Amino acid sequence: MNPTLRRLLAHRGALLGIAYIMLLAFTAAFAHLILPTDPLAQDLANTLDPPSPEHWFGTDELGRDLMTRAIYGARTSLVTALGAVAIAGAIGVPIGLVAGFFGGWRDAILMRIVDVLLALPGILFAMALIAVLGRSQAASLVAVGITGIPAFARITRAQVLSLRQRDFVTAVEAMGGSSAYTMFTTVLPNAWSPILVQVVILSSVAILLEAALSFLGVGIPPPTPSWGDMLRTGKGFLYEAPYYAVLPGLVLTLTILSLDTLGRTLARLIEDRQSAEDDA
Amino acid sequence: MTSYILRRLAQFIPVLLLASLGIWAMIYAVPGSPVGALVGENATPEQIAAITARLGLDQPLLAQYWRWLTAALQGDLGQSIQSREPVLDLIAKRIPATLQLGLAATLIGLLVGVPVAIASALKPNSLLDRILSAWSALALGVPTFWLGILLILLFAVHLHWLPSASAYIPFFTDPVRALANLALPALTLGLYISGIFSRFLRAALLGELLSDYVRTARSKGLRERDVIGRHVMRNAMLPFVTIVGLSLANFIGGTVITEAVFTYPGLGRLLIQAIGVRDYPLIQGCILFILAIYITINLLVDVLYAYIDPRIDYH
Amino acid sequence: MAAPVVSVRDLEVTFVGAGRPVPAVRGVSFEVAPGEVLGIVGESGSGKSVTSLALTGLLGPSARVSGQITLAGIDVTTADAETLRQMRGRDVGMVFQDPATTLNPVFPVGRQITEGQIAHGTLRREDAATRAEALLREVDVPDPGARITQFPHQFSGGMRQRAVIAMAMAGNPRLIIADEPTTALDVTVQAQVLSVLARRQRESGAAVILITHDLGVIAEVADRVAVMYAGRIVETGPVAEIFRSPRHPYTAALLRSLPRIDDDPERLTAIPGQPPHPGRLTPGCSFRPRCPVGHGRAICETEPPDRDGVACHFPGEAVAAPPAARPHAASTNTASPLLEVTDLRVEFPIRTGLLRRQTGSVRAVAGVSLSVRPGETLGLVGESGCGKTTTGRAIMGLIRPTAGSIRFEGREIAGLPRGAMRRLRRDMQYVFQDPYSSLNPIRTAGEIVAEPLRIHGLHAEMGGDAYVAGLFDRVGLPRAMMSRFPREFSGGQRQRIGIARALALQPKLLILDEPVAALDVSIQAQIVNLLKDLQRELGLAYIFIAHDLAVVHHISDRVAVMYLGRIVEESDKATLYARPLHPYTRSLLSAVPVPDPAARGGGRRIILEGDIPSPARPPSGCAFHPRCFRASPLCASTAPEFADHATVPSRMACHHPMEVAQ
Repeated sequence: MNPTLRRLLAHRGALLGIAYIMLLAFTAAFAHLILPTDPLAQDLANTLDPPSPEHWFGTDELGRDLMTRAIYGARTSLVTALGAVAIAGAIGVPIGLVAGFFGGWRDAILMRIVDVLLALPGILFAMALIAVLGRSQAASLVAVGITGIPAFARITRAQVLSLRQRDFVTAVEAMGGSSAYTMFTTVLPNAWSPILVQVVILSSVAILLEAALSFLGVGIPPPTPSWGDMLRTGKGFLYEAPYYAVLPGLVLTLTILSLDTLGRTLARLIEDRQSAEDDA
Repeated sequence: MTSYILRRLAQFIPVLLLASLGIWAMIYAVPGSPVGALVGENATPEQIAAITARLGLDQPLLAQYWRWLTAALQGDLGQSIQSREPVLDLIAKRIPATLQLGLAATLIGLLVGVPVAIASALKPNSLLDRILSAWSALALGVPTFWLGILLILLFAVHLHWLPSASAYIPFFTDPVRALANLALPALTLGLYISGIFSRFLRAALLGELLSDYVRTARSKGLRERDVIGRHVMRNAMLPFVTIVGLSLANFIGGTVITEAVFTYPGLGRLLIQAIGVRDYPLIQGCILFILAIYITINLLVDVLYAYIDPRIDYH
Repeated sequence: MAAPVVSVRDLEVTFVGAGRPVPAVRGVSFEVAPGEVLGIVGESGSGKSVTSLALTGLLGPSARVSGQITLAGIDVTTADAETLRQMRGRDVGMVFQDPATTLNPVFPVGRQITEGQIAHGTLRREDAATRAEALLREVDVPDPGARITQFPHQFSGGMRQRAVIAMAMAGNPRLIIADEPTTALDVTVQAQVLSVLARRQRESGAAVILITHDLGVIAEVADRVAVMYAGRIVETGPVAEIFRSPRHPYTAALLRSLPRIDDDPERLTAIPGQPPHPGRLTPGCSFRPRCPVGHGRAICETEPPDRDGVACHFPGEAVAAPPAARPHAASTNTASPLLEVTDLRVEFPIRTGLLRRQTGSVRAVAGVSLSVRPGETLGLVGESGCGKTTTGRAIMGLIRPTAGSIRFEGREIAGLPRGAMRRLRRDMQYVFQDPYSSLNPIRTAGEIVAEPLRIHGLHAEMGGDAYVAGLFDRVGLPRAMMSRFPREFSGGQRQRIGIARALALQPKLLILDEPVAALDVSIQAQIVNLLKDLQRELGLAYIFIAHDLAVVHHISDRVAVMYLGRIVEESDKATLYARPLHPYTRSLLSAVPVPDPAARGGGRRIILEGDIPSPARPPSGCAFHPRCFRASPLCASTAPEFADHATVPSRMACHHPMEVAQ
């Protein structure tokens, strides 16, 4: 097994994080097979019920089962986050690669564009985009994705710039390798590790951002279950049903903490491996 | 120094121009006509004619942008569709509230985050370090809107100590009521900021502790508290200031969310309300204003950095 | 004899961490008398630096220290932190290797120099500036009054190291520990710093422990020497004695493996293998796997040799007798040049101000002409910033020349389009300095060596994997290593992979950029011998770029000396080293520390004043004139032509060349 992976699994926090994320992803993916309940099924006779053996998280103001909604919310959340990270990576990584590899005017222009994306706090940028695109899950996904582009572009660019200084990249040029060859067979394969860490970290940022948008009422429109929207509605029933906002929030928080721990552990292991290589 | 600031400012100009172009173009991207977006659906023909003339909507696009930009630079951000008030006035009214919240939160962030980072870095990988690092992870990982809800549940719903919705009371008019209203939102945002401070300051300190000059300082017979307090701290400020600069976006984003949780009447809430009713001039105004603040603070961070680091040649 | 300043008995240092404990120092004993200079010499991993940190109690928490260290009456291994703190700076001062990082970048130099004394309460704050100024003056820093308020980045490397010496001496300590104090410096600056260190040592009467890998520096400066290998002192004694008749086979082999400017053997006597990692020592004698004496003797495999005296079961069997000098015939190679470079210039723009306008340029290479014939080695030597690497990279087409012509086999290649240049790359290859950075970490050694073949689509044509395996044979690496990754190789082995890769396309010319500078002395000899063998077998031409005049002397047929972007002198090796004409060449040669204590002193050394100027602001006229001891007003105004000398078969650029003794 890959030594970095082995050491990752030896780290208790990271292991817990992986276990939690896998459990969440599994239940979210197969929610319709596992759960007998429908997240949209209303039961107006049993609204705002506290947690009970029938409704572990209780019910909401329309009598819908909150745990079912939290699990379907995970589906919404994970899909949006993965889609957003995919968009951010698919655009950000090539930008960083080209900017860092060629430098000069390409770098200047591309990074100026990236700076514009960074000129606004991510959540405001996403809000502004949604104000234009209209409120929908697709709009949330795109908006969150676009705010993630600068992170990928910058990480990739920094990595490429430092690789560019390494002699083994110059060596490929000295051998007569073309720019495309150098970029795709030498630079990019060596740049993956920090980009991968960024994928994990950005997933947690994307989940948080999507939840925040829904909480602010500009994200995924109801009745699609989403964590942010559950917290938003739950906040209206703090006196009547305090558990309403607490339990879905806990699921969300654990997700973010898991991904954050995983990302940081990965980053540290990669750093250790690199410094071990430098010292060797 | 002036030339250095000017040079940094000059680097922001293309960003400002492009970003303002994006903000201006918003109304053209909205479905329907830009006039409709600017004056709302129930506008009278007179209003439509007025806005068409004012923005020169019959002129070439570039001229329209130029007109909009020069007006904005002179403080004319247009009129709110909802209230028919000038956008700048609406924004100006909300600034003190957001400023008070931001300062209080930053203060909490510093008071909690910096000692945590130092205690952590002095004994890396010790039990204390691991506990404090876990604390930082929590401060960063718990979403502010959930933390806010938990705090309301505890202090307002359960204990009845503090209000669940926070009004803006200027601190100097009534400090007690101001603090009561400010406590929960400032704590919510401040804990998050303390997480940023402690995590990155700890990393910066640990990075610096490995440097050769630390060994040199010890070899001279300096006391450990001087080695850390003077030599290491001063150098750790450099990467730290950069990180804080980069995290400013998170601070400002955090304010928007915190204001929403506590229905606190600041800029962020103004923006959310504006988006809710599609009040485009107000949306544009708010975003442009936040952009300006963000860039100003970034510039200040740059200047601060140059001031701390003697290697930066700002001539 | 007076009581020793420091006395060390049975010092052992073991690092404990996540893995197995690593014994870095394994039973070291020595003493240093007042006023004495003890040199500790050893290769990487020998434990020499760890020993020095143990003396001052500066090892980290992962180090387990045992044995006895008495420094200025303090028992260091048992003393509490406060006692050790007070000892440091007062009783012992330290000078570290890299002056670029030993000073704190954000504080003024003066403050850092006196800070220790203030902490010890031996200096009042208001007197600090005066004291710092005096200390800087004592180490020959010009204009010390202005210098004390400057920051480290405003100091040159040599100046910084002098400031560090001033700092170490500030508290008038009885012992100075200098850990590789000149390793990061250029040879002319090294000469300055060593002479300042020696003078300050004499003036203050302090004892010095000088730790270095450089036997030449030891021979120049030390009274006594201790040779360390694998965490032990294998041999110790007066410098003259050890260098004349070493009794430990390692010492003897080390001395024989050195290239020297005062000797010219056909081959260096390399030590096989590599210095052991402290965590992976063989039982018995640690030097056994590399030892020419102990082979097959049972006792060496089972019994660790004696700790005191000479750590060898058969001391004195090794002989240091350097191989007899075999003078080469001067280069008689008259074939038409393979490579001809004429008036090569490389300039990098400097942009400043609001609009990033080009306000000047760094003249990295300011008109270099050279030629290389098939099968010969041209040594390109100079100090940092002289443009030797830029020259090599410009010839290779990695940097676009600003002006000048580069002809390869008669064909102009400067400014050739990418495609045409690519085909040319088959004939010309590059070997890099840093073997850790020049190999792609995610490819196997076999893939790395095969990469040039794949790029040029010749892998199958040249014979595929069998051909690559043949290249491994050629550079002396086992074929079984082809499937390993670079991190599994030692520095010397990595350099062999780099050479195999450069050979893959069967080039005619190799540009070797400091190929042995990053390697331990015993490994250097292996690589240098390999390069000589390859040249003989394959008829390769080399451009050998280096700062080390001894290595260049050993490997080159002809040598060109560069200073600030220009070649100042060029000749065949024998002529250049025996009869240097340019004052710079002369000072450079005299600054090289020779590993022969008998040659010490004698007034032969010329110590240049000042530092190498920045290529962004080269001096007018002859670029060397501000530091030259023969300069006249003419030199400041007019740059000398690079031309043939009247009597000596050399070309040089100087108005006032050294007189030639006939």
